[in-house]
Amino acid sequence: MADVLSVGVNLEAFSQAINAIQALRSSVSRVFDCLKDGMRNKETLEGREKAFIAHFQDNLHSVNRDLNELERLSNLVGKPSENHPLHNSGLLSLDPVQDKTPLYSQLLQAYKWSNKLQYHAGLASGLLNQQSLKRSANQMGVSAKRRPKAQPTTLVLPPQYVDDVISRIDRMFPEMSIHLSRPNGTSAMLLVTLGKVLKVIVVMRSLFIDRTIVKGYNESVYTEDGKLDIWSKSNYQVFQKVTDHATTALLHYQLPQMPDVVVRSFMTWLRSYIKLFQAPCQRCGKFLQDGLPPTWRDFRTLEAFHDTCRQ
Amino acid sequence: MGVTCVSQMPVAEGKSVQQTVELLTRKLEMLGAEKQGTFCVDCETYHTAASTLGSQGQAGKLMYVMHNSEYPLSCFALFENGPCLSADTNFDVLMVKLKGFFQSAKASKIETRGTRYQYCDFLVKVGTVTMGPSARGISVEVEYGPCVVASDCWSLLLEFLQSFLGSHTPGAPTVFGNRHDAVYGPADTMVQYMELFNKIRKQQQVPVAGIR
Repeated sequence: MADVLSVGVNLEAFSQAINAIQALRSSVSRVFDCLKDGMRNKETLEGREKAFIAHFQDNLHSVNRDLNELERLSNLVGKPSENHPLHNSGLLSLDPVQDKTPLYSQLLQAYKWSNKLQYHAGLASGLLNQQSLKRSANQMGVSAKRRPKAQPTTLVLPPQYVDDVISRIDRMFPEMSIHLSRPNGTSAMLLVTLGKVLKVIVVMRSLFIDRTIVKGYNESVYTEDGKLDIWSKSNYQVFQKVTDHATTALLHYQLPQMPDVVVRSFMTWLRSYIKLFQAPCQRCGKFLQDGLPPTWRDFRTLEAFHDTCRQ
Repeated sequence: MGVTCVSQMPVAEGKSVQQTVELLTRKLEMLGAEKQGTFCVDCETYHTAASTLGSQGQAGKLMYVMHNSEYPLSCFALFENGPCLSADTNFDVLMVKLKGFFQSAKASKIETRGTRYQYCDFLVKVGTVTMGPSARGISVEVEYGPCVVASDCWSLLLEFLQSFLGSHTPGAPTVFGNRHDAVYGPADTMVQYMELFNKIRKQQQVPVAGIR
């Protein structure tokens, strides 16, 4: 039932008005009874007519009186408060058939749930914004008017600069060789060969690393027409796992303003895989876990862990 | 071709060859390996014909011609301590033509047949070595596909071998010691099989003498 106590209804007048309605109903039914009964039996015709008219007038007066009384009382009753919090949905609660159509309780639950969801989403977005995954140099949410006129230059680097950076990194490590090619437009594709352990295909977008695929040393990295195959996965589970780890690494090493530092750190991390089959796991000490060697390399210390053993 | 280790599993006490093979395969299946068909490796021996020997009467060299179902279009020919030749299957026909120089030793064909199992990146082959009608021993071959340098992954292979061979785990094959950083190839596997077959050939003579 609606909240009765807080509405501006005069309860006394309300009950009196209900009584007045009952009185009005009975006086109206008396009028129709009188009409139905017709004239009473008296000595003369005039006497009968007069008696009938007098009776009829009495009944109509009582109806009039009751109607006025009802009007007076209804003015006193007052309107229910307009500040009802639930507005129209509160009227749903007046539906007495709760079993078959529990609309109101479901409505309340849905409302509470959506409020909680909004609250949690707000908390989550606050936390996630602290660990931004965007790799562009634009600030988030900066309106078009406030955006600085000069676009970030790290996305539009001359290819010669990219070539220089890559060749410098190539010379850094003796056991790692990097071969650069541009078969599809301006984005560079690197074929990194690490000792006799594995080969990595790195697809770049100016100086940002976009995708990597890791394959075994004896697997073919070229398609049938001799082009670099950047899509097919390795046949070995261990290299499929290392591909997943490399994708995690390229998302981890981020610095939009200094992309060459990022590429350097990524290559340093990749180089730790030269001992993929020789290093035992630092945590459990074993070589094999579910048939896989320690494939995870910690991002800071470059220690080897099994995928299931890493902290 | 990944690094491969071929070893012999001694027959369990009081059990036949068949039963030991069954024990091994059951252990492998418990580990989680999947059966993936069968394999066969066979070896025929030829010795250099007497007519080609020099006047000093030097001993004839033994040549082994082997086939491996893993490389169905290839044929391997090797000397005991010498080089290993990988050729295609027409080599067998060539041997017939070279009858004058190489004669096949009678009843020398030895082969191993069994099932292949795949566990993660490991390929395990357990086979019964037979010479003629009799079963002579059990061969176990484990190949680790992703790695191609033998010295790199011996510890890893050893750990895997221990998990299902237990105390019968072999030592490092001699071919691993010879080639430190060279890429492992099928010829190295065939050399290991040749050594295994020779060992089994010599072995069998002892128990037969004991029974008599």
